[in-house]
Amino acid sequence: MSTFLWSLAGALALGWSLGPAPAYAQAPIKIGASLSLTGTYAKPGTYQKEGYEVCADELNGKGGLLGRKVEFVMYDDQSSTQTAQRLYEKLITEDKVDAVMGPYSSGITESVAGISEKYKKVLVSPLAATTSIFRQGRKYIFMVISPAEVYLEGFVDMAAKRGLKTIAVINEDTLFPKASTAGTVELAKKRGLQVVLQESYPKGNTDFSALLVKLKAANPDVLAAATYFDDAVAITRQMRELNVNPKMFAVTVGGDIPEFYTLLKTNGEYVYGSTQWDESLSYPGQKEFLAAYSKKFKHEPSYHAAAGYAGCLIYAEAVKRAKSLDAELVRAELLKLKMRTAFGDYAVDQDGFQIAHKMVMIQWQDGKRVVVWPDDLANGKPRFPTPPWNQR
Amino acid sequence: MLGQVVISGLLAGALYSMVALGLGLIFGVMRVLNVSHGPLLMLGAYTTFWLFHWLGLNPYLSLVVSMPVLFVVGMVLQRLFVSRVVDAPELSTLLLTFGISIALVNLAQLAFTADLRSVEYLTGSFVLGPFAFSKSRVIACAFAIVITAAAFLFLKATRLGKAIRAVSQSREVAQVCGIDVGRIHLLAFGIGSALAAAGGTLVAVMVAIQPEMGQVYTFKSFLVIVLGGAGNYPGALLGGLLLGLIEQISSLFLTTQVNEAVAYVLLVLVLLVRPTGLLRGRAS
Repeated sequence: MSTFLWSLAGALALGWSLGPAPAYAQAPIKIGASLSLTGTYAKPGTYQKEGYEVCADELNGKGGLLGRKVEFVMYDDQSSTQTAQRLYEKLITEDKVDAVMGPYSSGITESVAGISEKYKKVLVSPLAATTSIFRQGRKYIFMVISPAEVYLEGFVDMAAKRGLKTIAVINEDTLFPKASTAGTVELAKKRGLQVVLQESYPKGNTDFSALLVKLKAANPDVLAAATYFDDAVAITRQMRELNVNPKMFAVTVGGDIPEFYTLLKTNGEYVYGSTQWDESLSYPGQKEFLAAYSKKFKHEPSYHAAAGYAGCLIYAEAVKRAKSLDAELVRAELLKLKMRTAFGDYAVDQDGFQIAHKMVMIQWQDGKRVVVWPDDLANGKPRFPTPPWNQR
Repeated sequence: MLGQVVISGLLAGALYSMVALGLGLIFGVMRVLNVSHGPLLMLGAYTTFWLFHWLGLNPYLSLVVSMPVLFVVGMVLQRLFVSRVVDAPELSTLLLTFGISIALVNLAQLAFTADLRSVEYLTGSFVLGPFAFSKSRVIACAFAIVITAAAFLFLKATRLGKAIRAVSQSREVAQVCGIDVGRIHLLAFGIGSALAAAGGTLVAVMVAIQPEMGQVYTFKSFLVIVLGGAGNYPGALLGGLLLGLIEQISSLFLTTQVNEAVAYVLLVLVLLVRPTGLLRGRAS
């Protein structure tokens, strides 16, 4: 045998003996997901992916799930429902993953829920907040966050308590913002606020001048915007440009992400954001999650990260209790499960619809997110009213 | 209300005119519809962002960097790729520039990530009576007017500009007259890209910067040159202002939701009723 082959054999043997000892006897559990890593939802989608990764690390640090290592198989759906559908088909039929977790956003979750149902896969959906997704008789989908309709409950409550009378509600014309708007309008009416303007704008819109001009003419005390992220930033900026001055201004999604302030700097002051979670809340496991997350990614998590992390833990807990990956058994456990994670409470009704989790409202004050609602979780008082732009 | 909306429309429109003039120039000279025009604008915006971020360079000053840089990028694209398809059927040129567009966006995603960036500079507005003039948009509009005027002057008065117009009127005759058509093509693509870059720089101060920010400008520019008359340079000016106004006014009287629909319905109408554009373009 030639020297070359000998050395090859030697190298192989060496590699074999020096390689890491196999910690798990069985093949890893593969969990598939598509996430929006590019496109409109890139920011929250990336946070969610990072949440999944921290969860996988934590599970593996504690000996895996059912004695098997947990591995995520994740793809980029480019914020597109069609791409996400293709990817979930691929994950289930080609990659043959053992389980799937939800994508980012209600719209994309709605579009892939049919696929997970078709293949009878449990789909814990940590970032889908639209009620209708869970009210269509689907069996295997589970909700983790509070529904879209109550995102601005705290905002409406604060406005009503301060005696404000009129509200304008604007939204991106997609599933989740539409549902938040409907919920906000209903809550506002119930609290005696008059809705003076309600209008939607297309996804990807960048110029809000005309909408804001109309808004300025309607002169509402309160402005509620059901946004994602890009639009939340653009609206805030253009409000300053057009000198639009409501006494309170809130966005649903985007306002709570650290980048909101990084992009807007002091123009982000006084803006209210609603969030499913804040790092200052003292939920069990919160400290450990924060430490593990910042160590791995060198930045702070958003609620999307925490929800992704919690969603994955909730699925894992149900698997542990079912002692199996079988969808029927896991589903039965998920329906019964009551759990408190770093993200807050989890419990669902018979449709898999979330009934335990609580929203909070934050306000940007001196570059910090301060929880201002509800009172029992708040760590500061709202700065009210928002001063006009020219007096800041 | 209407006054404010007209102001916003004209401010936006001047910018559209400038960016569309770049697209129109390339189309006029080569009959190539450059789908990567928007992504070139995006590169201009990133140039401004990085200069602002790393060197603290005034974003408007970065025009003197972004325009020459993209001028060169445009010439390189022309020399390496587009020159090969100038005489090919329209579909080939569309496919090629579409490919370049996808490549540029994805390269930008790799290099700069999909994170939103912004140049926080001049965020307020001048208030005049009941009207608010966004500072960044007013200045962008002023620059757009100056740059567009300079481009016109160049086309009208200089020998090179006349050569460009000659080539866009008739390539064969221009060639017979001793004009180096290849060189003019190179120049036109360079100038077109530089105009896109100028748009990018000016837009960078107004909206968030991300790799996919450009495409919408490809469509808008396309709309503008069809409205104004493809290959008709003053038409681009008119088309841009018109598009800005239509978008704003339709958002005011209808909803923001339909403003793009209104613009495209108008496009279809113009194509049906006056296929050469509002100002007569060169029939292709």
